[in-house]
Amino acid sequence: MNTQAATHRASPVHVALALWRRSLNEVTRVRGALLPATIAPVVFLLGMTGQFGRLTGLEGFPTDSYVSWIIPLSCLQGAGFAGAATGANLARDIEQGLFDRLLTAPVPRWLLVVGPILGGVTRSMVPATVVLLVGVAIGAEITGGVLGVLGLYLASATFCAIAGLWGVFMAVTFRTQQAGPLMQQGVFLAVFLSTAYTPEALLRGWLAGTADLNPVTYVLEMARQATVSGYAPSLAHTLPGLAALAGMLVVFGLLALFGLKRMDR
Amino acid sequence: MSLDLLREGRVVGALGRRGLSVQFRKAQLLMPTFVLPLMLLAVISSGTSAARDLPQFPDVTSYITFIVPGTIIQGALLAGLTTGTALASDIEFGFFDRLLSAPVHRTSIILGRLFGTVGLAMLQASFFLLVALAFGARYPGGVDAALITVVLAAFTAVGIGGIASAIAIRTGSLSLMQSIFPFVFVLLFTAPAFFPRELLTPVLRDVAAYNPLTYVVEAVRGLLAGDAGLGDPWIGLASAVGLAVTMTALATFALKARLRAA
Amino acid sequence: MRLLSSTGSLWRVSSRASPLAVEIRSLVREFKGSIRAIDGLDLDVAPGEIYGFLGPNGAGKTTTVRVLTTLLRPTSGTARVAGHDVVHDADAVRRSIGVALQEAAIDPLMTGRELLRMQGALHGLRGAEAKQRAVALLDRVGLTEAGDRRVGGYSGGMRRRLDLALALVHRPDVLFLDEPTTGLDITSRSALWREVRALNAEGTTVFLTTQYLEEAEQLADRVGIIARGRLVAEGTPAALKAKIGEPTLHVELADAADAGRARAALAPLGTLEEADEGEPARVALQAAGGSAAIAPVILALDEAGVAVGTIEVESPSLDDVFLAVTGSKLEGAAYEADEAA
Repeated sequence: MNTQAATHRASPVHVALALWRRSLNEVTRVRGALLPATIAPVVFLLGMTGQFGRLTGLEGFPTDSYVSWIIPLSCLQGAGFAGAATGANLARDIEQGLFDRLLTAPVPRWLLVVGPILGGVTRSMVPATVVLLVGVAIGAEITGGVLGVLGLYLASATFCAIAGLWGVFMAVTFRTQQAGPLMQQGVFLAVFLSTAYTPEALLRGWLAGTADLNPVTYVLEMARQATVSGYAPSLAHTLPGLAALAGMLVVFGLLALFGLKRMDR
Repeated sequence: MSLDLLREGRVVGALGRRGLSVQFRKAQLLMPTFVLPLMLLAVISSGTSAARDLPQFPDVTSYITFIVPGTIIQGALLAGLTTGTALASDIEFGFFDRLLSAPVHRTSIILGRLFGTVGLAMLQASFFLLVALAFGARYPGGVDAALITVVLAAFTAVGIGGIASAIAIRTGSLSLMQSIFPFVFVLLFTAPAFFPRELLTPVLRDVAAYNPLTYVVEAVRGLLAGDAGLGDPWIGLASAVGLAVTMTALATFALKARLRAA
Repeated sequence: MRLLSSTGSLWRVSSRASPLAVEIRSLVREFKGSIRAIDGLDLDVAPGEIYGFLGPNGAGKTTTVRVLTTLLRPTSGTARVAGHDVVHDADAVRRSIGVALQEAAIDPLMTGRELLRMQGALHGLRGAEAKQRAVALLDRVGLTEAGDRRVGGYSGGMRRRLDLALALVHRPDVLFLDEPTTGLDITSRSALWREVRALNAEGTTVFLTTQYLEEAEQLADRVGIIARGRLVAEGTPAALKAKIGEPTLHVELADAADAGRARAALAPLGTLEEADEGEPARVALQAAGGSAAIAPVILALDEAGVAVGTIEVESPSLDDVFLAVTGSKLEGAAYEADEAA
């Protein structure tokens, strides 16, 4: 028997870094790859502000500026879709056989997705920043200062990771790129079945109850401390958001792990 | 080649049926064209219904009836875009070349594809009207209004399908077509799709006047609500038909240019 | 050392690695709809062997490879690679195996060198060591110049070579190759065969699946023929061919009238086939040794005063073996016949 097969155990950090670097190739080596991911949330930002801007005239709206209200939503939307793209890339790797090569390496399966998820988070910083800049350019104010903006970025980055875990779960369950739309619809529903357009107080009907149950509502509240004058940065707005993010990370992390474990069935 | 109308007609029908059947072959393909607009309808009609309390908001029997026209036009836009994407796919994977080498009139190829779009758009519009009805929409304009709405949706879809086809023929790239998706929303948001024109922000209000879709959406709104004050059906029809005719011509022109260059 | 496994049965774990490179016992793998891709497989591969797994599409070759490389769980039965159980000790298996599956598993956006270094990272190779290994492997498979080009631009043959290099990064004990030369041109195929032989000479066990008879005959020390999820024949290529019959010598006589005397003269040298009335001048003799029997045949006929026209030796091929054991032809053979024509 060939006894030269001795290798060191791969360090988790090293593996995650290698796969993170690889996932960034999607945007650094493909021309214009970030464009659709960035344009979509900006289009929604401008469009929704243009359409529904007058809603701020209603009693109970915590700000006079609808664009300020919408910026955090568009950031989350962009980050969420960047996370879904992580899942889509994994589905492609699975379909094309590259993931098999990774699965036969002596690396725990969860470690194989950490790098790509971090890659998605890195990518999500671009649409989030562009949305913020465009929003400010058309009149929004950063009412929450540095803390508020930090909260916005934290919410976006974590939401991107959660969306990425959802995408991973879809990818390893369906093992085809055709699951891509499912990943995106999941993100869409999560983001929009909330206080996306109007605050809690002004929601009517079934959406009021749904938004209450949707963890993303609390994440939005946390993110809105950056630009909505009525939400001054405070623990009351931040803690529920953090708890929601932590809860979703756990749930979707477990789902992704479960799906990965079942890949050999 | 001689123009045998009957035969060309059959070709157009066959191509149209193929385009339509591909849509339904896989459930996932249905998602964007049938489910996404309804999700947006649900979210917007529920999320922004407080808007009725705004002073300048017109009197409407039900809020969802006000929003549905936007959904229908969105559906038409997506149907048109899907057409362009399918064409780009055919071009990229060679089926288009096979079509070109068959004794088929060039215009028939375009018309065949757009015929499929018409079918899709009509199914969509009917579906959306029915679903909205189930969720509380009321159509004082009656069945007539609904039928004309479906026709308007079909013309609009053909118009968008025409321009999408032109782009597809020009670029032959599937991935490019897929990245055009956000622009569907640009067209939608620059029309009073979900909010009355008077209540749009000033910039958008000015832009909306130049968007043909504005007149179509308002026409549908007026028809369904039985209130021509919300939108003139004739202007809407003219707009939709004009869009359909010019864009079909554009697509045919693009095809001829491509063939000349080949 | 005995361990109680999670299913409550006793496993004996030896304190040194099992002597077999691959050990399969009663392996079954079922898919949805009760489709048994592997239906009771028993197989051993000794270390240092090249084992050829031959069978048509759908026979279960790829499924077997996927079980052995820990990508699929067995439905029942056991499989051990390099002494480790594929289910309970998957990590150890993965450290000992190199894998090149049917689809060349590459990332078109990366260069060959980058892919090799990433693979190195997955196996715990760091920094300088990973770099050197990449350089060495690129050289070994003849991709040094293309090493810094994106893999998306590689030809089919180059991709397979890179695939092989990727499988070798950590110097595996056992190399699994699933149809490695399908779709390759003759030059690329020969190059790959050379490489496989070189690796084997260095001590690597090779488990290779193929549809091509020539490949199995050329490369494998032993061949296992799989059909419908079961091993239907196994042995060295020569032994398998001998099993279904010895080579046949076809003697074309100068004068058909001599047939009777020819047959009498040749009878002691082997088994005479029945005379064909349509071809009276032909005598067919099955003789062990094939071409080695030509000289005795000529001598015997000469002594009998029979003039000989031509002598042809017909050897059974693995295709004949396949046909004999399964009743159907091997698809690959049909392809190769077209190629040779």
